[in-house]
Amino acid sequence: MFAKTLTKTVFGLALSVATLAATQASADATLDRIKGRGKLTVGLILSGAPFGFIDPKTQEQKGYNVDIAKALAADLGVELESVTVTPPNRVQFLQQGKVDILIANMQYTEERAKVLDYVPTPYDRAGGAAVVRKDSGLKDWADLKGKPVCISQGSNYAQPLAEEYGAVVKGLPSQPESLLALQGGNCVAAVHVGATVGLLLVDRADEWKDFAIPFPTELIPSDSVIWLRKGEADTQTALDEAVKKLHASGKMLELAKANRLLNTKYLEEENKKLSAK
Amino acid sequence: MSMAVTQTPKKSSRVLRYIGFVAMPLLVVVWSLIDLSLGKELVEWIPYLASGFSMNILITICAVTLGTTAGVVLGLMQLAPFWFVRLPAQIYVQIFRNAPALVLIFATTYIFPFEIVMFGNYLPFPDWVKAVIGLAILSSAYIAEITRGAVLSIPTTQWEATKGLGFSRLQALRFVILPQCVRRSLPPWMNVASSMAMGTSLASLVGVHELMHAATDASTAVRRLDFTIIAYVVVMAAFFTLCYPIARLTRRLEQRFNAG
Amino acid sequence: MQDMNLTGLFIDLMSRLGLNYEFLATGYEAQVWRDGFITTLYLVAITIPVSLVFGLIFAACLTSGRLWLSAPVRGFVELTRNTPTLVQLMFSFLVLNTVVSNMVGGAQNNPLSPFFWVVAVVGLHVAALHAEAIRGGIEAVPSSMIEAARGMGFSQFEILRYVQIPLAFRSSLPAIVNGLISLVKSTTVGNAIAVSEITYASIMVWTQRDNVVEMMIVLLAFFSLINFVVARIGQWVERRLAIPGYGL
Repeated sequence: MFAKTLTKTVFGLALSVATLAATQASADATLDRIKGRGKLTVGLILSGAPFGFIDPKTQEQKGYNVDIAKALAADLGVELESVTVTPPNRVQFLQQGKVDILIANMQYTEERAKVLDYVPTPYDRAGGAAVVRKDSGLKDWADLKGKPVCISQGSNYAQPLAEEYGAVVKGLPSQPESLLALQGGNCVAAVHVGATVGLLLVDRADEWKDFAIPFPTELIPSDSVIWLRKGEADTQTALDEAVKKLHASGKMLELAKANRLLNTKYLEEENKKLSAK
Repeated sequence: MSMAVTQTPKKSSRVLRYIGFVAMPLLVVVWSLIDLSLGKELVEWIPYLASGFSMNILITICAVTLGTTAGVVLGLMQLAPFWFVRLPAQIYVQIFRNAPALVLIFATTYIFPFEIVMFGNYLPFPDWVKAVIGLAILSSAYIAEITRGAVLSIPTTQWEATKGLGFSRLQALRFVILPQCVRRSLPPWMNVASSMAMGTSLASLVGVHELMHAATDASTAVRRLDFTIIAYVVVMAAFFTLCYPIARLTRRLEQRFNAG
Repeated sequence: MQDMNLTGLFIDLMSRLGLNYEFLATGYEAQVWRDGFITTLYLVAITIPVSLVFGLIFAACLTSGRLWLSAPVRGFVELTRNTPTLVQLMFSFLVLNTVVSNMVGGAQNNPLSPFFWVVAVVGLHVAALHAEAIRGGIEAVPSSMIEAARGMGFSQFEILRYVQIPLAFRSSLPAIVNGLISLVKSTTVGNAIAVSEITYASIMVWTQRDNVVEMMIVLLAFFSLINFVVARIGQWVERRLAIPGYGL
C-alpha cells in the first residue's frame, strides 16, 4: 500500500515537472533573435499539393506554404529555416521556441486565439470539400447525416460534420489513408481542404473518374493565418506588414497561381483591397 | 520433445526460414516490375525512405543499449535485500512499464528543451535523442522485469549450494546465477529489442524524420492509391528485414546455450 | 445541473494550474472523449482472452514437431513479430478489408468493422509473443522430466498437458504478463483506423485545442491504472502457482 502511495506521488511530481516545462513561454525577444541569428524558423506542414509536399529529387519542401515562408524571410532580410511539423506537435514546437512562427494550415478559431497570437492579415481562405462517389446520390452536406465520413486527424471539420450535419466522423492519420478508406468503401465521403482534393481530382482524373466534389458550398470556410507565441507584438506587426505587402504587390496571388491553387477569389479580393490603399 | 526441436531441423523447414530473409523485399520488387510506372515512382523515393530508415536503426541501437544496461541494474536492484535499494527500482518499473511508448515519447519530447546551454554554448538537443530516451525508459522497465523473472527461476538450492561453497551473495549472482539467467532471458529480451525497433515508428508522431514519416511524406506527394499501399508494404519489408535476422541470430544463440 | 457545476469547477481549478481542460464543457468533444474510455476498456477486455487462447494454440503448433502445423504458424509469428503493429493494422484495414468487401459484394455487406481489425491484429500479435514465451518455457523443461513421464506411460499429448504446459506456464508467466501489458498499450494503435478509443479521442481533442500535455496526463494515468490492475492480477497468479523450491 505504501508503495502505491509513493508511486502516485512520484507520478504526480513527474507530471507537474512535465507540465511546467511545457507551458513555460519564452520572453518576447523573437524579432531580435530572428534578426540576430539572421534566420527565420518556420514550422511547415506537409499536407500535400498545393500547400506543402516533398520533392523526391531534391528532398526539399515545395508548395504554397513554403513559398510564403520564403517570401516572408526575404522581406525580413533573413534566411529561411524550415521545420516540418505535424498536427500533434506543432503548437509545442512553437511554444518551446523551436520554431518562430507556424504556417501550418491552421485556420483562425476562437479557442486557438486564446492560446496563441496570430498575424491579423490571413494568407488564404480555406474550407472543406467532400469527395464522394458519383453514383452515391449525395447532393449536399445535410445528406451526410448518419453516414461514415473520413477526414484526417487534426482537421477542424470533425466538429461541424458531427454536430451540424450528424455525420459519423472517422479520423485517419493523414489524407492518403483517408482517401484509401473512401475508395475501399469504408466511408461515403472524404472531407479535406478544398484546394488539395480539387487539385487531386484534376491531376489524377483517371484514378478518380468515379468520384466528384458535388456539394455547392465549402464547409466552414475560414481564414488561414500565421500563428506565433502570445505577446510577441513586434514580430506580429512586422509579419503583418510583410503579409499585407505580399497581398498588395500581387506576389501572394502570383505564388498561389504558381502552386495551382484552384480558387483564388479571396486572394484577388485582398489584392484589390490592399493595393487600392 | 525438446531434443526433437533442437536436433538438426529438416531441410524443408530450413529453406522456409531462409525464404524469410527475402520474401518481403521480393514482393515489393515483383509488384514494381508488374506495374512499371509505380516502380519508377518508388525508385525515385527510395533514397528518401532509406534516409528515414537509417534513423530507425540508429534510434533502436541506442535505445536498446541504454535500456538493457539500465534494465539489468534495475532488475537486480529489485531483488536486493535492502528496501531502500529495492523500493525505488520497483516504483520505477511499475510506472514505466505501464506507460504506452507513444506517451513516453511525447513526454520526453516536451520535457527536454530543444537546445541545452553548456558553458555558454548552445548545444542542439535533437528530437531523435529524445525518442531514444523515451524508448530506453520503456525498455529498461521491461528488461528489469525479465532479469528479475530469470533470477527467480533458478532453483533455491543453487543459492544454498553457493553459500555452502563460501560465495558471497554478489559472487553467487555473478558466477552462478547470472550466467544461467542469460539463457532464460534471451527469448523475452529478443521480444523487447524487436518491439523497440517497431516502437521507433511512433517517433514519426513527434516529428522525427524516420521511415513512417518518410512514407507518409511520399504518399502525400505522389497522391496515388497504389503507391500508398506499396509504401506500407515497403515499410513492413524494411522492418522485417531488420528484425528477422536479429530474431534468427538470437534463436541460434539460444539453441547453442541449450545444447551446452 | 450538479454535474455541470462540478465540471465547471474542475475546469476552473485546472486552468489555474495552467492546464486547459475547457473541452469538457463542450458537447461533442467531451462526449467523444468519455466514450473513448469505455471503448478502450471494452477493447482490452476482448483482446486479452483472444491473445491467450491463440498464444496457447500457436505454442502447441510450434512445439508439435509436425511441419505442416509449425511452418505456417512460424511464418505468421515471424511476420507479426518483426513488423510494426501500426503498419499491420493499416495494411489489414485498408487492403485486406477492401479485399473482403469485394469478395462479399460491396462494403455494405462486409461485417468486419475497424474494431474487429484492431482485436484481430493486436490479439494475434500479442499471441505470437505469448507463443514464443511459452515455447521457451516448454523447451526449458528438463528432458529427464519428460522421459520420466514417458516412462510412466504418458502419451505425447498428456506430457504436453500435464507436464510441459504447467511448468512452461509458470516459467513464462512474467513474460506473459509483460505481453498483456504491451497488449493494453498496443490497443492505442486503433487510433490509426478511427476506432474511437481513448487515444483517438484525445487526438481529436488536442488537434483542435492544442492541449497535448493535458491529454497526455490523463492518458498516462489511465493506462497506468489499467496496467496496474493487470500486473497485480499477474503477480497474484504467479504467487498462487509458485512451486516451492524454485526462486529466492
